[in-house]
Amino acid sequence: MDRLLCSLWVWLTGARSAARSPRGLHRRLPRFWAIAIVVCLAISFNTGWLTLFAPPAPAQDIPKVLTMGTSADYKPFEFYDTTGGESKIVGYDVDVAQRIAKDLGFELKIQDMDFNGLIPALQSGRVDFVMAGMTPTAERKKTIDFSDIYYSAQNTIIATQGSNLTTIESLKGKTVGAQLGSLQQEVAQKIPGAKVTTRNRVPDLIQELNAGRIDAAIVEDTIAKSYANIYPDLKFTVIPNNEGGYAIAFPKGSKLVPEFNRVIAAMKQDGNLDQFAKKWFEDQGKPTETGFQRIIPRIPFILGGIPVTLGFTFASLFFGLILAIILAILKISSFKPLRWFANAYTSIFRGVPLIVTLTLIYFATPQLTGYKIEAFQAGVITFALNSAAYVSETLRAGIMAVDKGQREAAMALGVPYRMMMQDVIMPQAFKNILPALVNEFINLLKDSALVSTIGAADLLRRATIVGAETYLYFEPLIIVAIIYYVMVMGLTIAASFLEKRLQKSA
Amino acid sequence: MLRVEDLYKSFGPLNVLEGITTAIGQGEVVAILGPSGSGKSTFLRCMNLLEQPTQGHIFFKDEDITAPKCDILKVRSNIVMVFQHFNLFPHMTVLQNVIYAPMKVKGLSKDQARGVGMDLLTKVGLAEKADVYPSRLSGGQKQRVAIARALAMQPDMVLFDEPTSALDPEMVKEVLEVMQDLARSGMTMAIVTHEMGFAREVANRILFLNEGKLAEDTTPDAFFSNPQCDRAKIFLEKMLK
Repeated sequence: MDRLLCSLWVWLTGARSAARSPRGLHRRLPRFWAIAIVVCLAISFNTGWLTLFAPPAPAQDIPKVLTMGTSADYKPFEFYDTTGGESKIVGYDVDVAQRIAKDLGFELKIQDMDFNGLIPALQSGRVDFVMAGMTPTAERKKTIDFSDIYYSAQNTIIATQGSNLTTIESLKGKTVGAQLGSLQQEVAQKIPGAKVTTRNRVPDLIQELNAGRIDAAIVEDTIAKSYANIYPDLKFTVIPNNEGGYAIAFPKGSKLVPEFNRVIAAMKQDGNLDQFAKKWFEDQGKPTETGFQRIIPRIPFILGGIPVTLGFTFASLFFGLILAIILAILKISSFKPLRWFANAYTSIFRGVPLIVTLTLIYFATPQLTGYKIEAFQAGVITFALNSAAYVSETLRAGIMAVDKGQREAAMALGVPYRMMMQDVIMPQAFKNILPALVNEFINLLKDSALVSTIGAADLLRRATIVGAETYLYFEPLIIVAIIYYVMVMGLTIAASFLEKRLQKSA
Repeated sequence: MLRVEDLYKSFGPLNVLEGITTAIGQGEVVAILGPSGSGKSTFLRCMNLLEQPTQGHIFFKDEDITAPKCDILKVRSNIVMVFQHFNLFPHMTVLQNVIYAPMKVKGLSKDQARGVGMDLLTKVGLAEKADVYPSRLSGGQKQRVAIARALAMQPDMVLFDEPTSALDPEMVKEVLEVMQDLARSGMTMAIVTHEMGFAREVANRILFLNEGKLAEDTTPDAFFSNPQCDRAKIFLEKMLK
């Protein structure tokens, strides 16, 4: 390997003669960057191999800290308490988990993510167990293990007042909604003659119901009770003899299962579970304030997403720009394989939807490398890689648009290629593409909302959390829309100011 | 100072220079004349290797600069060039244009470079424009800055590629005056130009190129009063009409 790198180095730097003619000068460029790329590749390969060959951390070792995965949009089982700006995941499941962790002598760490991401998180070792009102279905048992049931739930039909949809039989020919991947989905699919449609989250189902797109939804009784409480138009009926329940999920073969079962049994015995049920499921009383009045104390919590969203956008833009410069230089190099590489790169990222790349990077990285990449990191990497693909193309055009005389003038003064690119060509290229860059920045800012799908606590995610906590749907979204709009307008104004100043200077 | 031996240059199938041999001595001011397409600019651009010769050798101070081992960047910083279209860096002020290469290439400190730069700007009569951007200058002023920028490298030789062709007529004079001063100071210069009066007055040697070949190599007096080849006679007739 070392010898290979050595000979590459010689090849890349050795023949100074290639740097004599303008054409030769042109070729120095790829050489310099080729060095950079070889070094990067070497580093990434090395670390990659290291992680592949390192002895895998013994999976069965029970750690001191237990990480619980949950999807905190399921009040009262797990949700963010956002009053007063601070946020903390609370709820029935959290209380149960705390008690179990305490009894077993662990420290509990809670990680919030999208419900659909919970099972992948278990499989990739990102979390040790999952408590998220999850029902042990036959399908799930194929890939993960479950504890005993710690909460018995009843399924209900929730529908509008006066619809008379109260029995399984009455749902024949109707459109029935259920949460994707839930036990309720299986129940709904067994209703004869019903057309089943699924949504990712229960709040979405309730909105579909309010909008009249579905006739009824199958949801679990505690949840149904809460929503019927907020929306007087809705009522729910328990489906008789259709008990379900929630269990704790573990990766296949986890040694934690019997330990957890022991504590669950103890909690049933000592009445602790009933205590928690009383604490969380007691009648909450009808709220007297309007939706927005209930959102106002939670606005500081939503605003807390601004630094996350902005930090994310800036970080992505920064790394994306660096990568874009490298790619753009490869694209104008006269060494064909480098051009091919850069063009292939752009074509891949142009051709794959961002959300697919994001999900792949977030979930595949831990499985391939063992590194539990954070949502924020995965987001920045994805967005930087993606943005680089687009910006490099713009930048290439920007470089080509710089007058040929500029290059010759620098060359005629004996300025080396790198300095010429850095001091003469790039500043002018960037000025050429400034409007396009501002556009890219705005796009990044708005697209950053995608990271909420992998659980990063950005603006949109926080609005969703508040929505789940208050059982409100539109109010937090409207607030977050206004925040995004104000940020984009601020950026646009700042950018046009900058553009005017640059115009003045030349 | 500069010796050219049997220089050939072709672009694909097009042969632009076909065997030029000549030498330019220290302090000489050489005007390169010729009809359009005769290879004047290409010849000039070969001298600082902006064009790589196809064949032949160029020696600068007895060093073969066409040899593969030659440090081309060093050669270029000694044989600087002034372009027809000035090619000032638009994102730098006048002074920054002048001091950029001395700082980056020759490693002068900012203060040193500034001193050299301001001296040169004073010489070309543009000291008061030091902090202005090139877009605010007239064509003549731009070319004077470009000359100052080239001289800031403290070169041994300056190449001029049609330095007044892109200028409005009333601005030609101010640039030619600067060049004349430079010639008087003893700078070695090679000038591709269509300014016959200037060539006659300032140059001490004329190279007349025709179809890629050196057709005449003589003094201005001899060339303008008694051109030897037919092509030169026709050329002069047209130019001096």
